[in-house]
Parts: sequence; structure tokens; C-alpha cells
Amino acid sequence: MEGMTYLAIAYLGMILGLGIWTWTVVSRSINLQSRIKALEDSLGLEGFESDILASEVNDGEEN
Amino acid sequence: MRVRHGELLLVMGFTGIMVTLFLAWEWAPSVSIDAFESPEAQRIFYWHVPAAWAAFIAFSVLFIGSALWVFKRSPVGWRLHVAGSEASLACGLMAVWSGCVWGAAEWGTPWDWTDVRLNTFGLLTLLALFLVLGRQSQPDGIESRDTFSTFGLYGFVLVPITYVATRIWQIRHPGPVIGGGEESSLSSDMGLVLLLGAISFTILIAGHMIMSIRITEYEQRLERLQNKVDGRI
Repeated sequence: MEGMTYLAIAYLGMILGLGIWTWTVVSRSINLQSRIKALEDSLGLEGFESDILASEVNDGEEN
Repeated sequence: MRVRHGELLLVMGFTGIMVTLFLAWEWAPSVSIDAFESPEAQRIFYWHVPAAWAAFIAFSVLFIGSALWVFKRSPVGWRLHVAGSEASLACGLMAVWSGCVWGAAEWGTPWDWTDVRLNTFGLLTLLALFLVLGRQSQPDGIESRDTFSTFGLYGFVLVPITYVATRIWQIRHPGPVIGGGEESSLSSDMGLVLLLGAISFTILIAGHMIMSIRITEYEQRLERLQNKVDGRI
């Protein structure tokens, strides 16, 4: 293969990887936001302590 | 209007790496035909080196996050661990992929099992893969966080070994292009494109890690809400 072919394969692979990674992150963020909003609206709640595991551990250590 | 730093950094990073790609393709000078088997393929390095640089930053974030979780039980530390492992995997795979393609063009083989730099960097990327897939396949709990954080903490030992590998054992992978003495000098135009690439990749993974931290917060909040709905709290 020509050097330019290798160059194109390398960059296309990286662009594809970057695109999949970014798409996954953005779509997960949007999906989670909409699910949280729907649940919070249905419960009439706002804001929770965000990390239950860490808070349980820290509470246990304090006690 | 509320500014979202993660998304803003992503857009800035993407713009920067696309400009880097354009300059690498159209503007950066060619290397000597005598010095390389495949001089055109050398232009891979304008993304390969910044991707590896970004992977090292991500591995450092993974290390800091893992240490904060193991020693302090810090929720921020766990979020940094998650963000660092995902960014390490993405950047590590990009560096490995581009390196394999360049190796195939330049050396006639995509991988050399005797080269220390290739193998330690490959192991780091496999570690990131294990952390990302392992976390997705296990329920979130203190034991699983401890296990993954311990791997993140001790796996970091491979980072300095990878960094010095080409300085100590130069087998197949080229020596350092920056900071490696007289042999590492780059032309100013090449250095400029490489610097732009490194800055752009750094901005890009910063955006990705901010978004990943936010996603972990969302997942934890969603879990709390679902527990509330189920009447477990």
C-alpha cells in the first residue's frame, strides 16, 4: 500500500473512534437528564445527595 | 443562558484537532525520503503523539481519582476515576491504532513484542479497557470501587516506565521527539503543528472528562430517585 493510504486509514480510524466516543458521551448525558427530569417531576422532588455509597461509608466512619 | 463547560471544551478541542489535521496534511513540511521507509505516513504522528500525551494526562487523572477513593473515600475521587479510565481508553486506543498503522507502513509490521514502549503502553490501554468494561458489568458497590481503584492506583506504575522506555531501551519505537537531546530536534513548523495538536487534544479530553464526571453524578442521582420510587429509602 502507498504511504498516503496508510495515512488515510490511520486518520479515518481515529476520527471514527473520536466520533463514537463523543456520540456515546453526549447521548448518555441527554438520556440520563431526561430520565432524571421525568422522575423528579413525577415525585415533585429536586436535588439529591449525589453519591450514596461514599456518604454511607463516610457516615459509618464518623459513627 | 447557562454555559456548559464540557460541551464548550469539546467543540474547542474538536476544532483544534481538525485544524491540526489540515495543517499536518497541507502545511507541515515533509520528512527526508532517505530517513523513512514511508515518508507520507510520518504525518500520522501529528495526532499519534498528542493522543498519547492526552492518554498520559488521563492516566494521571485516573491515578489521582483512584488514590482519593482508596484513601479518602472521596465521591469526587470516584468520579475522577471513572472519567480518567474512559478518557485513557479512548486516547490509548487512538494512539495504539495510529501507531500500528504507522508501524505497518514504516516497519512492515504493526507490532513488535520485544519493544518495551509498545508493550507497556499496550498494557496501560488494556488496563483502561478492563476498568471501563469491568465497571459496566458489575453493580456499583464499595467492594467493586475498591477493586477498580486499586488497579488504577498500582497500574500507574507503568506510566513512568512507558515514558522512559525509549530513552533506556530504544528497540523499535522512535526516540523522543521533544526533550530527548540533540537527536530529538524538530523543525519549527513541525513543532508548531504538534504543539497545536497537543493543546487541542488536552482541551478535548478535559471536555470529555467534565462530561463524564457529570454523567456519573446523573447516574448516582438516578439510582437514588429509583430507590425512592421503589420505596427502598
